[in-house]
Amino acid sequence: MDEFPDFFPDLLEDPYNSLIEKALDNGKIPIGYTCSYVPEVLLSIDNLMPVRIFAPGISGTEVADIYLSNVICSYTRSLLEFAMDDRYDFLKGWVFAASCDHLRRLYDNLNYLLKPEFIHILDAPHRLGEIPLSWYTEELKMFTQAMASHFNIDYGEKALIDAISQHNEFASLLESVGEFRKEKYPPISGSEFHTLMIASQAAPKHFLIDKINEFKRSLPERKKKSTYRARLLIVGGQLDDPNYIKAIESTGGLVVADHLCTGSIPGLTPIVIKDDPLTSIADHYLSRTSCPRMMEEFNARAASILKSVSEYNVDGVVIEFVKFCDTWGIEAGMLVSALRDAGIPVISLEREYRLTGEGQLRTRIQAFIESMGK
Amino acid sequence: MKEKFNYYTIYCKYWIITWFKIIPFIIRHGLFDTIRDLRRYPWLLVMLKVNRLLGKFGKGRTLRYQKASSIIVSGIVSSVTEMLGNFFFNSERMIIHEDMVPPEIFKAMGLAPFMAELIGIMLPMIEPHAMEDYIDMSESSGIPPDICSLPKSTMGMFLKNETPPAIAIVASNLPCDAGMCSYALIEKQLELPTFRLDIPYHFTDERALHYFADELKRMITWLEEHTPGKMDWDLLREICEERNRMMEYEIELWDLVRIRPAPLAGEAVWLTHMWFFNLFPGSKKSTTIFKKMVKLGKQNLSEGISAVKNEKYRALLWNPPLIHFIDLFNWAEKAYGVSLIMDSMSFNRLPFIDTASPETMLEGLGRNIMYGPMARHTRGPAENYLNDIFYIHKHFDLDMLWVAGHIGCKNTQALNGILREKCREAGLPLLIIDYDLSDPRIVPREGIIEQINHFMENIMKAKRLDL
Repeated sequence: MDEFPDFFPDLLEDPYNSLIEKALDNGKIPIGYTCSYVPEVLLSIDNLMPVRIFAPGISGTEVADIYLSNVICSYTRSLLEFAMDDRYDFLKGWVFAASCDHLRRLYDNLNYLLKPEFIHILDAPHRLGEIPLSWYTEELKMFTQAMASHFNIDYGEKALIDAISQHNEFASLLESVGEFRKEKYPPISGSEFHTLMIASQAAPKHFLIDKINEFKRSLPERKKKSTYRARLLIVGGQLDDPNYIKAIESTGGLVVADHLCTGSIPGLTPIVIKDDPLTSIADHYLSRTSCPRMMEEFNARAASILKSVSEYNVDGVVIEFVKFCDTWGIEAGMLVSALRDAGIPVISLEREYRLTGEGQLRTRIQAFIESMGK
Repeated sequence: MKEKFNYYTIYCKYWIITWFKIIPFIIRHGLFDTIRDLRRYPWLLVMLKVNRLLGKFGKGRTLRYQKASSIIVSGIVSSVTEMLGNFFFNSERMIIHEDMVPPEIFKAMGLAPFMAELIGIMLPMIEPHAMEDYIDMSESSGIPPDICSLPKSTMGMFLKNETPPAIAIVASNLPCDAGMCSYALIEKQLELPTFRLDIPYHFTDERALHYFADELKRMITWLEEHTPGKMDWDLLREICEERNRMMEYEIELWDLVRIRPAPLAGEAVWLTHMWFFNLFPGSKKSTTIFKKMVKLGKQNLSEGISAVKNEKYRALLWNPPLIHFIDLFNWAEKAYGVSLIMDSMSFNRLPFIDTASPETMLEGLGRNIMYGPMARHTRGPAENYLNDIFYIHKHFDLDMLWVAGHIGCKNTQALNGILREKCREAGLPLLIIDYDLSDPRIVPREGIIEQINHFMENIMKAKRLDL
């Protein structure tokens, strides 16, 4: 099975994919969310089903630009455009995190324009520590109360522990696939792995487990990726189009690790139950993600990237971020300096949410790989 | 002829007053050291041209209106020389802080605060092109061009090593992502111990108030550990009480400007608040400025004199004022009789600080920050922004809303669509001025004037009064 199964990329063609349709038929309640600070696990309780919102194949954002303006990141504009085009009509609720200026305003505009029956915004602190953790736990408590009352869901301790356990099992399954990327000649490309990652956020997980297991079993027999010129690590925020990574890999790079909002490091870290389940969830989501919105964590983020560089035997780092993102815009410049200081070749790329300028991207990556002498 | 004579009399008086404040500072610092530091910190040279503001604000205005703006300029010079005094003579106590962090606490701790964004705000008022080199420096160091030009200006100053010697940095997650993230770079550049305040997004309940008060306590403890500063609660009480007195005068001033035609307007409302509440609150000198504004306003009112000779329209300005076209309203007054009555940076709803205990003072200071315009407006939710606009529209009997549509402010750009529809519903004429806060290369003065002319002629059906 050398070909990557079509099943996974097919799920990324439309937010309303075949598995969502199937889940709806089974009485599932799809809840849309937009950011890694929204605990997906709390949307996986009982009949709920988390759907990370994306806008595949968006061709333009004419309507969204009227409201959000054209200086807001094109990810948020694309989501609003799709929402205005009724592409998320199947959702029964929306959950946001007040993570950045752009998502906060998406929440404002979506609330104003669509007036969803259920919409909630979580206030995630901008730093770590005991007091912020307690604040965020309280936020999650209020959120679960709102969900429980609106959707008649039981957020009892047992339900939470079960959801954590299922979350961890699924993360561990994907992690075990990701482990193959550490091999000198991995049997899986970066774009294929990212397709799995995005599919698992865009479709109900329980429908994916068998397919991922089947794919995993095929990996040892699969043809190895042995012709690459450089092993790359990709760093950035929201990236839900594996074709971006495919374009990078078409130039001879192999993306062997990722530090993306929608990616595997630290996205697949299991939730450790320390105190009560809700505090553990708050702790996990607050401290796990690698977003520059956490204002005191630059050194930790840089150290974590350096750790992955050595763990995955990376030759160079590609930083990508959606234009107009303030947090990543400043972070990228600083990361470039930090990684160069550590002797790691690095390139920083600004991009649009939808895959445009593919030729330019290829040229830049090609030049980057050549500059590494590969 | 008499008007010209009056103008030059006031201009010369305050020109002399301001130089009498600057010269002793130069003498104290030493002529040689001053020349050396003018080369080292080129922005000081721009600051020395501060008297330009007397002309920008004063020219062509009625007597007491001109006097009011000249008093403010003189007050600005006093406060800046005081701050520069700390810069040169008290650097062992100097801390660099971001805007939206309460300076009252630093002063009560015996520290010398230097608000880093001050340079980026003040310099373009004096010399519109002053920040261009700093903006370019940031961009050539990898900061994307679309980032707000105020943090880019601030980062550029640090990247050029043109900032004061300090012992610590205090920043926060306000007012926006760019402002917050800029301090990661500044911290790296200066290699100084840095403290960051975390301010909740859901700020309207007791839980948020306690959270932020705890953050302020944590900041005080941290400053006591990392600086020679020690908290003096009695001094903080005095500062807060003085701030409350200043607030009483400001409310009185607001009551005066509600009257049509307004006896004072423009800088008497917005610049007083922006400068003395944000940078130098709790000082007797700041309170005196407000007291003088109220006195001048009352004199005008009792004599039936309006600040703007021919007040035809009363405007609300939203977002920070257009700092590189700081005499915009002086121009608009003459061109169309547009009087600036209120602005988003000045208007606030929770003005007083309860000084009963350290806890209540911290809560009061916290409330002021959380409910401050750059917090409740720029972060959201949108209701805060819209409700204030329509409340001010009615309360101050206004005719139009001018939004300073700073291209780098994503928070406010992303609300323009809703705002247009809401203004249409409310019948409030809306002008969104496309420009960049600190960089006149994006839209120069002429471009701004052209936008206003289009709006006034086509929407307001107004004719130029000065042509």
